[in-house]
Amino acid sequence: MQKIELKNALPRVFAGQTGIRSEVWLRPVAFERGKKYLVSAESGGGKSSLCAYLYGYRADYSGEILFDGKDIRGMSVAGWCGVRRGGIAYLPQELRLFPELTAYENVELKNRLTGYKKRSEILSMFERLGIAGKVDSPVAKMSIGQQQRVAVIRTLCQPCDFFLLDEPVSHLDAANNAIVAAMVEEEAGRTGAGVIATSVGNDLSIKAEEVLRL
Amino acid sequence: MWRLLSRHVSKTQLAGFAVANMVGLLIVLIGLQFYEDVRPVFSDEDSFMRKDYLVITKKVGNLSSIKSLFGGNTNTFSEEELEGLRSQPWVRKVGEFTTSNYPIYGMISLSGQNVSLRTSFFFESVPDEFIDTEVDGWDFDPEKPMIPIIVSKDYLSLYNFGFAASQGMPQLSEKMIGMVPIMFRLTGSDGTRDYVPGKIVGFSNRLNTIIVPESFMRWSNARYAPGVVDRPSRLIVEVSNPGDVKMQQYMDSCGYEIAGDKINSSKASYMLTVVMAIVIAVGLVISLLSFFILILSIYLLLQKNTRKLQDLLLLGYSPAQVSGLYIRMVVYVNAAVYVVSLVSLAIVRSMYLPYLESFALDGASFLPASLSGLLIIGLITAGNIVAIRRKIASLWYVEK
Repeated sequence: MQKIELKNALPRVFAGQTGIRSEVWLRPVAFERGKKYLVSAESGGGKSSLCAYLYGYRADYSGEILFDGKDIRGMSVAGWCGVRRGGIAYLPQELRLFPELTAYENVELKNRLTGYKKRSEILSMFERLGIAGKVDSPVAKMSIGQQQRVAVIRTLCQPCDFFLLDEPVSHLDAANNAIVAAMVEEEAGRTGAGVIATSVGNDLSIKAEEVLRL
Repeated sequence: MWRLLSRHVSKTQLAGFAVANMVGLLIVLIGLQFYEDVRPVFSDEDSFMRKDYLVITKKVGNLSSIKSLFGGNTNTFSEEELEGLRSQPWVRKVGEFTTSNYPIYGMISLSGQNVSLRTSFFFESVPDEFIDTEVDGWDFDPEKPMIPIIVSKDYLSLYNFGFAASQGMPQLSEKMIGMVPIMFRLTGSDGTRDYVPGKIVGFSNRLNTIIVPESFMRWSNARYAPGVVDRPSRLIVEVSNPGDVKMQQYMDSCGYEIAGDKINSSKASYMLTVVMAIVIAVGLVISLLSFFILILSIYLLLQKNTRKLQDLLLLGYSPAQVSGLYIRMVVYVNAAVYVVSLVSLAIVRSMYLPYLESFALDGASFLPASLSGLLIIGLITAGNIVAIRRKIASLWYVEK
């Protein structure tokens, strides 16, 4: 997938509202592979909605969203499964980890599906993010910041054309923010993937080509 | 993943379903198997309860007795009445009893003993296809006159257990009877008298009369009673379902009588079918209820796991992969239910079979019941799988 386009898209909850001042909604927007985008928003601006539309688990919008020129409304369930395994690597804002599983099991649940990273690579990512000692701890017993780092590792365990990161560093300090940014940039640089990161203030420290206000 | 999703699997609910389904399936299977096992009693050729042939006559009333005194015989069946009977849907074949129209005198001399039995006689004949006794030489040749006779088994019993026992006469076996020579004196309307030998060659359960071959009847009636045309007064009818209510109604409306208690045994057979149908229906209802128990408990399970299932779908697991776990669970449980039901069926059957041994039944094949069970459990499993798939497909979109 080379290009994600939005044409005149608008969440249905915003329908009928006047004075929408957004650089994304109701406009033509294109996200290209290989480029990095920051989407900054205020709370309630539809940031998570945008992610949900692009990841195919909500469709309550008007207008069009296109992958490589194709309207995603017509995409099959199998098509979406393909996107989720190899097209878009998604880090949800609410993390969506399984609290009863250990950190490693959470990551492995994704990696088993894609077979993308070796165990040693996964463990070195844990190390780099300073949670090597938590590999076998249940996620339920970890702090929210630690959980966010586990979710970042899980997101990196798949091939993709775009990273879609919904507030990836909202619970991290500046040092960890920089590490996460570096890891994402390294992976994207290696594979040529694009990066779309959202935030409500705490931006991911990447060199973004474009910053869009939602 | 199984560890993740099996947390909310309720063993109690699964066990409840399994037991309910097993009870339902077992009732259906026992019903079918018992019916299969017992059916030969009602339908086998040799069976005492053979129901497919009925002998019918007209009711003998006071008026018809008086009429017959004046030469008119109102108890015969007219051609129209025969046609009416043949056109009934439950009738397969109709055979007429032909009666001898000339006087017959039978004599038995037991050599060695000074006993001689003499009596007036009559013969009847029916088409050969209605005769239930296999006999060699069931034919008559005027060149070598010899009359083979089949009599009702009741006559032999009557003699052996009624007459002989009380009068100090020897009891006779079927074979011994066959060796007794009988001489018949046939008298024609013109006064000719012939002596023809005969012997009893067989005994019938179905025909309560004295039967000779049709060929002899045609020959003798033409020779001793030429020109006499007689309508049959008794009919033998092969019917498709002797328990048919419509048949009884037709018989009543026409004033026909069915000989003996055959109609009662046919009613027994009919009732067996009805009772088995009820039992099987009850089993099916229980199976259906247990099906809904499983569906409900699966829905509850999926509901509890909604969030996890949606997260798995978000990770890129396909609905088929996610539902596969539950489908496998259902298939295992249903397969276990089927196997346990079959084993239970075998146990229950071994308990009731000894009671059927008095009917000389070997027991029918297991196949019809086990195939029906497979069909039922297969349908239930298919229903479960469809329900699981639909439920998981409905989880695709995550509510905000």
